Amino acid sequence: MGLISGVVMGMVFGIALMAGWQHMMRYRSKKRIAKAVDIKLLSSLDRDDLKKICGENFPEWISFPVFEQVKWLNKQLAKLWPFVADAAEAVIKESVEPLLEDYRPTGITSLKFSKLSLGTVAPKIEGIRVQSLKKGQITMDIDLRWGGDPNIILGVEAALVASIPIQLKNLQVFTVIRAIFQLTDEIPCISAVVVALLAEPKPRIDYTLKAIGGSLTAIPGLSDMIDDTVNSIVTDMLQWPHRIVVPVGGIPVDLSELELKPQGKLTVTVVKANDLKNKEFIGKSDPYTVVYVRPLFKVKTKTIDNNLNPEWNQTFPLIVEDKETQSLIIEVFDKDVGQDEKLGVAKVRLIELEAERSKELELRLLPSHDMLKIKDKKDRGTITIQLFYHEFNKEEQLIALEEEKQILEARKKLKESGVLGSTVDALDGAASAVGSGINAGVGLVGSGVGAGVGLVSTGFGAVGSGLSKAGKFMGRTITGQSSNHRKSGSSTPVNSVQENGGAKPL
Amino acid sequence: MGFLSTLLSLCGFGVGVSSGLVVGYFLFIYFQPTDVKDPVIRPLVEHDSESLQKLLPEIPLWVKNPDYDRVDWLNKFLEYVWPYLDKAICKTAKNTAKPIIAEQTAKYNIESVEFETLTLGSLPPTLQGMKVYLTDEKELIMEPSIKWAANPNITVVVKAYGLKATVQVVDFQVFAAPRITLKPLVPSFPCFAKIFVSLMEKPHVDFGLKLLGADLMSIPGLYRFVQDIIKDQVASMYLWPKTHEVQILDPTKAMQRPVGILHVKVLRAVKLRKKDLLGASDPYVKLKLTESKLPSKKTTVKHKNLNPEWNQEFTMVIKDLESQVLELSVYDWEQIGKHDKMGMNVVPMKELTPDEPKVLTLTLLKSMDPNDVSNDKERGQIMVELTYKPFKEDDLPKDFQESGTVLKAPEGTPPGGGVLVVIVHEAQDVEGKHHTNPYARIIFRGEERKTKHIKKNRDPRWEEEFLFMLDEPPVNDRLHAEVLSTSSRIGLLHPKESLGYVDISLSDVVSNKRINEKFHLIDSKNGRIQIELEWREAS
Repeated sequence: MGLISGVVMGMVFGIALMAGWQHMMRYRSKKRIAKAVDIKLLSSLDRDDLKKICGENFPEWISFPVFEQVKWLNKQLAKLWPFVADAAEAVIKESVEPLLEDYRPTGITSLKFSKLSLGTVAPKIEGIRVQSLKKGQITMDIDLRWGGDPNIILGVEAALVASIPIQLKNLQVFTVIRAIFQLTDEIPCISAVVVALLAEPKPRIDYTLKAIGGSLTAIPGLSDMIDDTVNSIVTDMLQWPHRIVVPVGGIPVDLSELELKPQGKLTVTVVKANDLKNKEFIGKSDPYTVVYVRPLFKVKTKTIDNNLNPEWNQTFPLIVEDKETQSLIIEVFDKDVGQDEKLGVAKVRLIELEAERSKELELRLLPSHDMLKIKDKKDRGTITIQLFYHEFNKEEQLIALEEEKQILEARKKLKESGVLGSTVDALDGAASAVGSGINAGVGLVGSGVGAGVGLVSTGFGAVGSGLSKAGKFMGRTITGQSSNHRKSGSSTPVNSVQENGGAKPL
Repeated sequence: MGFLSTLLSLCGFGVGVSSGLVVGYFLFIYFQPTDVKDPVIRPLVEHDSESLQKLLPEIPLWVKNPDYDRVDWLNKFLEYVWPYLDKAICKTAKNTAKPIIAEQTAKYNIESVEFETLTLGSLPPTLQGMKVYLTDEKELIMEPSIKWAANPNITVVVKAYGLKATVQVVDFQVFAAPRITLKPLVPSFPCFAKIFVSLMEKPHVDFGLKLLGADLMSIPGLYRFVQDIIKDQVASMYLWPKTHEVQILDPTKAMQRPVGILHVKVLRAVKLRKKDLLGASDPYVKLKLTESKLPSKKTTVKHKNLNPEWNQEFTMVIKDLESQVLELSVYDWEQIGKHDKMGMNVVPMKELTPDEPKVLTLTLLKSMDPNDVSNDKERGQIMVELTYKPFKEDDLPKDFQESGTVLKAPEGTPPGGGVLVVIVHEAQDVEGKHHTNPYARIIFRGEERKTKHIKKNRDPRWEEEFLFMLDEPPVNDRLHAEVLSTSSRIGLLHPKESLGYVDISLSDVVSNKRINEKFHLIDSKNGRIQIELEWREAS
């Protein structure tokens, strides 16, 4: 009797114990999960949440801007700045100098930093915004403002004048930096970082130039040249959709998705211009037009002498990388001895174009792209262009990409061998080659520029364009010779294509 | 009889309890789900006041304290990166655990140990505020408040003797308030040499540990016991002032400490080429070390001499024996215009043997480019004597100078005396009426020292060090520090201006050994000057 009641009692006790334990387990687990939920909730609060929690006692010092303030980061940055500045100086010198070389305008033979110190004022981060616009990517926008006091002295060597040190003062940079982190499953979880400056709001980089021991007017147009160089670097390298892709952590991943790729082809026909302004004392302007999507790939029409209503009727193919944000820039110049004068510019946003449909536009010429700088409302005439946008399919895209790579490589080679003064020059050459006929290209292929030959075979379609491309690389050289402005030009053995000439310093 | 029945019932009770436990186990625990579900998160607006009340203790610090900053952008970043980070961490953990497990199983005759599931869950760690402290030392201090309430599911299956046992960790929670100090700051990326991490308070740790499905941590009393043990363990290792140190940069490299001194004796040059139109050249030699920020050194000019003898001695500080190169260039001095270069050559520092004088005869070249054709031309030769004297190991502090530690005075200091080190770091908000080209002047016992001038700057940085050798501690002395500005033009109206001064009593320095502070300037609106004072006693 005692045994059975003992067993039963024990059973009941044991089961109760287990039931109790299970109850405890559930209770504690519930509590922990509830806490986890609370913490998750509190990790991202917005104004309404906080209002609900705090009620009457809403802390007044809290605000919720789109770009979150980072006071603590600014404090740290200010403290760290002298050290960062020291470390960055060397890095900047190393990385920016070749860039300057690439985008160096004609008329300047060397552009180097002779002094670079970033000053004592640290940049300020106005705010940071983090979002995930695409799966597997984190987009971080950093609103950066830097009104610094850097001491940057550029050693500028112009063709005719000896080296002049030029000081860059009162530098102010206002821009939103976009960093896109590509995520991956391997530590450190980020396979690549894409860095670019957001185009909207437009990056603002202000500075004043001052010549040391001389005057900027010693070289006419020098300050414009530097402005132009800085502008091209910023818009063609850094400003969205252009970007810098930095692989991180040595994980081999396919970064081609992140790189800017040719998206389509824009065929531009520059038809004619009307009522251009006369800029010459004797006779009329000698207008020609430069069109481009990226400053790195500019093309140019032929020059029509003494005409204010010129008809060019020339067609060029241009590569488009990002239809949504890129624009076609049209610049009309007056061919002149020395510095060519700008007659007007126009801009077509590519997003306004429909694919696979031809469109003719008559555009008013404006004095400048920057709407803030336009002061007068004078009539500068109009320009008529025809546009046709073709979207690439996969194969065409690959071909275009390959071609672009080759062009850049060939240019680099030529530059290394000293044939070309600068990469930008090559474009002018291309333009003039296109302008003055295909035989220039043929002649050059004959003269054995390996790079050029390679390109001919990759042809863009028509043989003619292929040939003119070959001419592209040498065109500038020839130009240089005829205008005799640059050392590189005078040393070239090719002189059979003089008609190619016509320097167009930017 | 009564005794027997009691004994029987006791036995029965024992049997009953054990069988009851087994039955209970199968009844209540065995069939409990072992998988971890993602918690349902309702937006806060839908909560009622009661559940809001429960939330209140966990309100982030940035809501409560204005000195904490909100770091939602970091939280968002963490949230987006978390799924990838989770996978990456788990993968690494599995891979590192594998060899260890393999070794252990062989030893203990266990069939296998495997991770059945391994995930850290969907909830990322969150930062509930960030606070930074500013000190006058070369360091960055930040205190994030980290709360990680995770929903991990880590199940380990152990198989041995034909039996299978599972251990599962769930609902892991850590709340910690670490202090992260980056110091010292150095002028090369990433701009700090070490990271120090320590905890400002004991961390809160909570988790569920399920053995065969039963959560041990929910046994009353046991949880508290385990938690205390963990807290104490962690506290004994990382609770402030104990720190965990992570080295980022090699300190000597980062600080660019000098490793030795190079004595250069420029003896003479022979057969230099004539450069001037009239008469012979006027040569002098310029010496420069690459990667050195110090100005180059020059010999005197020997007028109208193509075989000049200088016999001048110079000393230069070497920071990196491997990469630094001494550049010797001979120039032709000109009264007007640019000095012509007559030739140059270089000596890499690694070619020198320590403490051994070496006389070198170098052929002068136009440039160091080996392809330069104009190098074939005869430009003469230069003779130099080089001696490299490395610092002895004992001269160098083993580690780099920790801020806060006081060095001993060098040898030769009189006993009882010492060295007063004054480092003028920077000034802020100094402003002159007519010009602001500030420099600092230090006057101590009538001795005057000056820093260099900095042009047009309201917040100048000097970072200059001055030493005063003393016979006895300067207990009753004062140091007079003044910021002055001189006109950059030859202005007769306002040649010099005082931007403010401060008198610092040195008795504090002697008693504290070291003081690094920003002093408010007298006769200045908001001006401050940061001066570091150190008293190094003779041993």
